[in-house]
Amino acid sequence: MNKVAHIFKGLFSVASLCAAILIAAPAAHAQSAVALDGKVKVERTETVDGEQRTVLAEPTSVVPGDKLLFTTAYRNTSAEPVENFIVTNPLPRAVMLAEADDSFEVSVDGGASFGPLAGMMIADGEAGDRPAKPEDVTHIRWTLPLIQPGEEGVLEYHAIVR
Amino acid sequence: MKRTSRLLGAASAIALVALGATPALAAGTTAGTDITNTVSVSYQVGGVSQTAETDSDTFTVDRKVNLTVAEVGSAATIVSPGETLAVTTFQVTNLSNDTIDIGLAATQQTGGAAAFGGTDNFDVTSVTIYVDTNGNGTYDDGTDQAVTYLDELAADGTKTVFVVSSVPSGLATNDIATVILTGQAEAGGGAGSEGAVLTSAATNTSGVDTVLADGNGGLSGDADYDGLYSAADDYKVLTAALTVVKSSKIVSDPVNGTTNPKAIPGAVIEYCIAVSNAAGGTTATGITVTDVVPSDLTFVAGSIKLDGTLTGSVCNADGTAGGTYTAGTTTVSGTLSDIAAGSDGTLVFQATID
Repeated sequence: MNKVAHIFKGLFSVASLCAAILIAAPAAHAQSAVALDGKVKVERTETVDGEQRTVLAEPTSVVPGDKLLFTTAYRNTSAEPVENFIVTNPLPRAVMLAEADDSFEVSVDGGASFGPLAGMMIADGEAGDRPAKPEDVTHIRWTLPLIQPGEEGVLEYHAIVR
Repeated sequence: MKRTSRLLGAASAIALVALGATPALAAGTTAGTDITNTVSVSYQVGGVSQTAETDSDTFTVDRKVNLTVAEVGSAATIVSPGETLAVTTFQVTNLSNDTIDIGLAATQQTGGAAAFGGTDNFDVTSVTIYVDTNGNGTYDDGTDQAVTYLDELAADGTKTVFVVSSVPSGLATNDIATVILTGQAEAGGGAGSEGAVLTSAATNTSGVDTVLADGNGGLSGDADYDGLYSAADDYKVLTAALTVVKSSKIVSDPVNGTTNPKAIPGAVIEYCIAVSNAAGGTTATGITVTDVVPSDLTFVAGSIKLDGTLTGSVCNADGTAGGTYTAGTTTVSGTLSDIAAGSDGTLVFQATID
């Protein structure tokens, strides 16, 4: 438990980041009950026969202002039910959340506290606090109480390249 | 039971270091930035905390090329015929998410509607492009450098650019010459050398591709997404248009005096030279009037009066004494005060019939 606690701290320290990866990496492959697959796609709006459609493309051509769809697919590959499945997703610095969603909680304070975006306040210099906006979100968190063996699903959020 | 989480896999340091930091650039995330999405997971199986996993996916932000050229002042530059170093001012801005060079070209419109009303009807000469080297927003001859491109303009960078020209002589008020400044996006990266023209990448790679995303300045030859942006400015001529009317009247003769005088020998003739500056132009300065006194007349010494008034086009024979008379050439001359547009001035002198 001491070792684990040490690694947890390493998450928030750049200096020890490399060490944390080296120690933790071998354990992952041995004991994973849940398989994860992260992907990112670019959302493009195309007009076909006068009808607007959103198509997903590989992120080979991405410029500021483009809308992205980040997905994390999960599957319980074990024979046991998985409980309290919590996925924490720090937003990459170069993207901002496009819109809040009921399916996840957000944090605007670097992951210290989570909740719905509505009602969250953020410090606004000398003017005091203001309501938080999607671009203020720093972390997203999904909580799934139970995943049955073989059950799978996709967690996703939309973001815009800053 | 304590839940734990671990970070596994290849996670970019960028994603972790600056949580929630907001880049201030309007141009957006710098080209070549890798974006990595990393998730950390914790869960329990049978009430026992399990090893958390992360999964990440990385892509690279491409080069979004955008630039604008804008005329500064939203009005024509007023010039005089024969003026040199006539300046029009533009602002060139790099809205790309990367440092680029911007090629500059100044062209002259041939006819057609001018930028700020009226019609282009002449061309200026010696057109040269200068960059505002000292950054004061005003053209300084000898300080600001002549350029053909802007070198290494950073993302969100902006430069003031001057198009400096000479105005031909012999032009009338409201003649207009329109000049167009066009900026072209070129590859940055080499200070002191002009980069190659940027074009949209034909294929998408996982590296940095170029995407032209510029708008257009509404001028012909400038379309969206062509890496070009143009703006126009006008040189508008404002000049003085002088007309001169000369008249004479007999003011007295030796027989009738000033009552109904006749042009007999010994009679005094008063000459009126009226100078008018048309309305709508500029103030005329340095106006010199010369007139040769006809033979058979003798100039009346000290009779020259300058800057008098007119009634219609006839002098009121007022004004202040001045001017000179050169006996050798029998020439009267005088320098009038400045005449504003829509005003006039006079030179009056007298002579006697021999």
